[in-house]
Amino acid sequence: MSSSAEATGGVARAARHPSTDRPHRQIAAARPRISLFGALLLAPALILLTCFFLAPAVLTAVFAFTDMSTSTGIGKGQYVVTPNLLRELADAGLSDEVAEAVSVETYTVDDAGLEAAEAGGVDGRFLKNIADRLNGETYTAAREFERALRGLPDAPRSPRELKLAAEHFGQSVLNQRFDTSEELSATLAEVAPNVSEETRDRIVASSYTGAVWTTENFHTLATQRETARLVANTFLFVSATLGFFNLSLGLFLAIVLFYMPKPVNSVFSTLWLLPRITPVVLYAIMWKWFTWEGGFLPVLAEQVGLPSFNYMKGSVVTAWITMIMVNGFIGASFGLILFSGALRAIPVQQLWASEVDGATRWQQVRRIILPQLRWPILFVTAYQTLSLLSAYEQIWLTTNGGPGKTTTVWALEAFRTALSNYSGNLEYGLGAAMALVLVIVGLTLSILYLLLFRFGELVSKPRIEF
Amino acid sequence: MTISKTLTRGCLTAALLSTVAFTATAEDYTITVWAGGTNENSDYRYEAISMAADILEREAAVRGEDLSITVESQAWSGWDDFKQAFTLASEAENAPDIVVSGHEDIGPWSEAGLIRPIEDYVYFDVWPLNAIYPNLIDVASYNGQVWGIPQDAEARVFYWSIPALKAIGWSEDEIETLPSRVESGEFTLYDMLEAAKAMQDEGVVGDEMGFAPRVSNGPDYWQFYQSFGGEMVDPESGKLVVDTAALTGMYQFFVDAVDMGVVPATWLGSEWDMWHQNAAAGNYGAWHGGTWHYAQWTTQFGLENFFDTVQYSLIPSGGEGGRANSITHPLVYLVTSAASEDEAAIAAELIAIASEPRINALHAVKSAHLGIAEAETTVPLYAEDRWLTAASERLAPHTNAIPNNADFGIYWTAMFDGLEASWTGVSSVEDAVADVEAKVTQALGDNVIVR
Repeated sequence: MSSSAEATGGVARAARHPSTDRPHRQIAAARPRISLFGALLLAPALILLTCFFLAPAVLTAVFAFTDMSTSTGIGKGQYVVTPNLLRELADAGLSDEVAEAVSVETYTVDDAGLEAAEAGGVDGRFLKNIADRLNGETYTAAREFERALRGLPDAPRSPRELKLAAEHFGQSVLNQRFDTSEELSATLAEVAPNVSEETRDRIVASSYTGAVWTTENFHTLATQRETARLVANTFLFVSATLGFFNLSLGLFLAIVLFYMPKPVNSVFSTLWLLPRITPVVLYAIMWKWFTWEGGFLPVLAEQVGLPSFNYMKGSVVTAWITMIMVNGFIGASFGLILFSGALRAIPVQQLWASEVDGATRWQQVRRIILPQLRWPILFVTAYQTLSLLSAYEQIWLTTNGGPGKTTTVWALEAFRTALSNYSGNLEYGLGAAMALVLVIVGLTLSILYLLLFRFGELVSKPRIEF
Repeated sequence: MTISKTLTRGCLTAALLSTVAFTATAEDYTITVWAGGTNENSDYRYEAISMAADILEREAAVRGEDLSITVESQAWSGWDDFKQAFTLASEAENAPDIVVSGHEDIGPWSEAGLIRPIEDYVYFDVWPLNAIYPNLIDVASYNGQVWGIPQDAEARVFYWSIPALKAIGWSEDEIETLPSRVESGEFTLYDMLEAAKAMQDEGVVGDEMGFAPRVSNGPDYWQFYQSFGGEMVDPESGKLVVDTAALTGMYQFFVDAVDMGVVPATWLGSEWDMWHQNAAAGNYGAWHGGTWHYAQWTTQFGLENFFDTVQYSLIPSGGEGGRANSITHPLVYLVTSAASEDEAAIAAELIAIASEPRINALHAVKSAHLGIAEAETTVPLYAEDRWLTAASERLAPHTNAIPNNADFGIYWTAMFDGLEASWTGVSSVEDAVADVEAKVTQALGDNVIVR
């Protein structure tokens, strides 16, 4: 409070004395003093902004340039040489000898192994069994060696314990997970010493399980035919919902209620808020009761001889209408609140004067009300465009983008790609790329709207000095 | 004073030691189990683990060990939410110890390090795991390791309304021999469309009620790809196969079904409950589902006289080059990386016990899934079940599974996207197939074979 007052004071003083001490005053006006207290007051907002807006946006941008998916995992990957990897490398030219050398499993019972097992805490009696009965033996498969160990009298009951004991006597790189490339490289050098360093590096590089940097997601989005369909669907959804409901219905309701007696106005205003204040899942269920087979509308339609079916999912046209209405009634209440507030700000004397001049209701709306609602209309358009672009919850809970994918919009597809689909293949990278496109479109539109609204003028200092 | 001090110290030390000793011998474990695609009929997916815990505790007591296991379970009826929950919980290191999911998840989950190879914790050459069908163990394997233990098996079924077939003039013999004619490839999917159309024309079933496929994505649709000669994976190289001719045949089949008016263009995405009600009430001419749907229709949707009113067969061939087939989609018990070494060992033991024929038979019979071992078919509860016996004989020998491949999800999603697009008329069959080919080759490059 104090800081803003001081800052305003500084600006006001600079305005009052334009001719005196000009350079100093200009600096004061350009750089208002910021007190520590003011910064402290702003800190929570800045922290929240960073955590809940900037960080997700930055992470989305980072993920968008990766091939991150369920298979790669979200965190740091590991290095694993698998039979499938060796097969893929063989297809790409890796020789059979190298593949065989890398996948070899050798278990030898010798003094080094026994010492390692003892140091590893393997039971003494079991170790003695191994030393007495298997010393000098070599096995070329883990399962073969484990079978031999299981035959010993003091073998542990737990399979895991036995398999851990076996690991002290041999080395295999196959299907082992290494945290670093160096660890895998070192083990590979031991297991397959004849493999060249270059080949080893190639195997190690290919064995990384984590996500890697790529621009492939954007290439996919730019080239796939589905992108055009999703853009068209999104455009239709946003423009129809905005045009028919958020703006037209919101404005119509606000004006109609404005002319109604106050108690009626209050009741209807509250009723129109219900879609917004009803929990979204409950709201979706109510729409299902309303539109599904056996629901209100199909039953009514049957009574009057109209086609009766599941209007939410039974045809593409009715699915679109349902989807737009589900979102539209929520949006209409937003417009209603804003327009109602703006209407109350219009000096009522203007309406009285127009009535004295014999103006009709329509003339009042056309000549007095609408011109003064220009800013709220632009604001609702801007805000709701951005809101609808990223809206998917209601669609997901109602038509779920169907029938087929006919009502799938960009945001819903991004959600499904990254976080929710039947096969469980969550493509975080591609989904993030889709989300990033939305962020960029949103930011571009925001800048355009700010220019359109002349935001600078709206926040500029008042011409009247208080 | 000194004596009393010494005594006190001695008593305290003894008390502390006894506490430590007690703690050392008493082992308490809490094992969490999450099961996907599980409803009230298939609750033995996690109840079996609780039963196994009881047995393991008793076995420990017999050995003189004090073992206490608490099993906490959670079930998801669908797959999307379940897979999302498990994947994200794993990334947040908050996953359960045991997860029951489709075998196709082994590929991506093992590559991401979300699960442990169960072969590290159990012996497959001892009872009861040595009794499990070897082909099911193969289905639970990936990259040369056995990752899970099969929890159930199944067959997918093409169902036919006997009253509707009779109404269009089919004789008893024709109805009786239908399964064998389907199996041999003599009776094709297009023959089925003709029959469905005749049923509608006859007024036995309503418009667009002649043929009722699955309402949502599922392994079922791969059956139609196979019906038109498609292979999901190349047996030699192990690479995924995009067979454009088979995809074209499959997509065109559903487009033709829409054009004939036996199924709506807006079918995909409609409601399961409505489908179950109509199937159980005999309102469809032909439909396809799984063996387990029998349990749902007879227990929840009031279907009586199943064997008198419903004929069942493999999914018919699409025509020349195709084959009648059925896909099995075994669920598997997997031990997750979130479990500690000790918990993983206990979890694996519980799974092994839960796989014993008598326990698994409870799940098989209650949910109408097929058993996992030959010995299970001799358990009286199972052996007396007419449906399981019939399905095991007629369908099970012809089943195959979808591949365990970390990239299969990409192909699967693209295949279903193409099906939705062509079925609803959003794109032509040719464009839909071209889209699948483009998407899969772009994502997988040389790891996919296009035919």
